Amino acid sequence: MELPEEIRNAAQTLGRSLREEDFMRSYLKAVEEFVADLEARKLEEQLYATYNDLLARQQAGESLSREETQSFYELRRRVQSHPLISARENELRLIKPYLAEIADEISARLGVDYTALARS
Amino acid sequence: MDSPINLSPTQTAVKTDAREAAQTLGTLLRQMPEYEAFLKALQAVNSDPVIERLGAQMRFHRDALQWGRDDGQHAAELERLEMELEALPLVKEYRQAEAQVRQLFQAVEEIISQEAGVAFAANARRGGCCG
Repeated sequence: MELPEEIRNAAQTLGRSLREEDFMRSYLKAVEEFVADLEARKLEEQLYATYNDLLARQQAGESLSREETQSFYELRRRVQSHPLISARENELRLIKPYLAEIADEISARLGVDYTALARS
Repeated sequence: MDSPINLSPTQTAVKTDAREAAQTLGTLLRQMPEYEAFLKALQAVNSDPVIERLGAQMRFHRDALQWGRDDGQHAAELERLEMELEALPLVKEYRQAEAQVRQLFQAVEEIISQEAGVAFAANARRGGCCG
């Protein structure tokens, strides 16, 4: 959707202001470290790919074997316990209340919950 | 006289810049024709007696299902009422206006998230079990 320039600028300003916030620093650093690690990235990509594959097959009516589900849970455990991924997730958890505060400012102007309408 | 003590730990953690930027964005979005149409449609839906009656009937059947009182009739009746509701011109108008606003907000969201380095709305939502 083509946005009016004023709205586009305001959204960019908000995004940049958020990036410069002190509370974002540790999170962005954790993301940077994760992105720089090929093994961590591949592991997470593998989890999403496996999940999507199993879900699609299940939705198509296929019964998944015990080995397949066990293997998925093991992969998920490895992803969740990977130090870079768990560090990133932990930092993300810490910034959420601040992000919610900022979103509240938008919602207060709108009179409805911005986050409910903006999520895809 | 001393300043009052700020008991909210998060109020000082977010700089004014981001708050002001959010307020400005909210004000601009509020003025968009898509949003004005959405609010108008929302108000129309919320003040319509037929929709209110259907809503009350649907709640009754949902409650019955939630409490396990399902002999097959509640689910069927709920489905019928939902179809009746969605077929109403006011509800159709509302759905259309809502879709337009979602499209607008998602385009805005994409820019915020890209600039900020984090999926903003998805991580800013309050409530829910997981986050």
